[in-house]
Amino acid sequence: MTDNQKKELKLLCFVNWMVARKFDDDFGVRDLDSLKSVVNLPGNGSLTCFLGERLSNRKDLYSQLGWFVYYMISGEPFISKNRSVVLLMLIWALNYYRLEFDVEALTDFIIMLDPLKQGNSDISLWLSNNCR
Amino acid sequence: MRRKIIRVGSSRGILLPREVTKAMHWEFGTEIDLDVNTDRKEVTLKTIKVSLPDDYNLEHLRGIEEQLNLHADVLGGIDD
Repeated sequence: MTDNQKKELKLLCFVNWMVARKFDDDFGVRDLDSLKSVVNLPGNGSLTCFLGERLSNRKDLYSQLGWFVYYMISGEPFISKNRSVVLLMLIWALNYYRLEFDVEALTDFIIMLDPLKQGNSDISLWLSNNCR
Repeated sequence: MRRKIIRVGSSRGILLPREVTKAMHWEFGTEIDLDVNTDRKEVTLKTIKVSLPDDYNLEHLRGIEEQLNLHADVLGGIDD
């Protein structure tokens, strides 16, 4: 794993702990391989958008977020609060990049998302159409 | 609140009420700090403050926590 991937993995674990603690639920990693898949983008890339990097290309941002959402929801790396972690990180990233979005629509999208029917590129496309 | 010293083997101990351990997120095996002030005859129990590794950006984490608090109503129910 690259240094960035390790940082992102630790960050996601921390966020899982923060969310689980807030809502009085269990925290921790259920499947480490699934968690590694979340931060391991093609070409040894990673979710640099979560490290505060200002991505110059909006397409890269949607692509990273689509990957993140898909592998978090399909792999369920944490014992609990997987979708909450997804939604929280999306809200944070979209605010960080000063994109406009409707929290209710985004929440509904995350709740209803079926990884058997929607892949990471479908998710990226939804985000690019709804968060601008 | 008042608690009685009880015997635990050959040692002395006190039992912490469930509402206290729940509020402090203290599970079985959780390590805590115990400060003794003999002058004031006080003993204080504290959650151990964990220092974050260098590669965590504190400002970044605070920003995420801020969003968590701001959107707690929607985030709380989506995994149920």
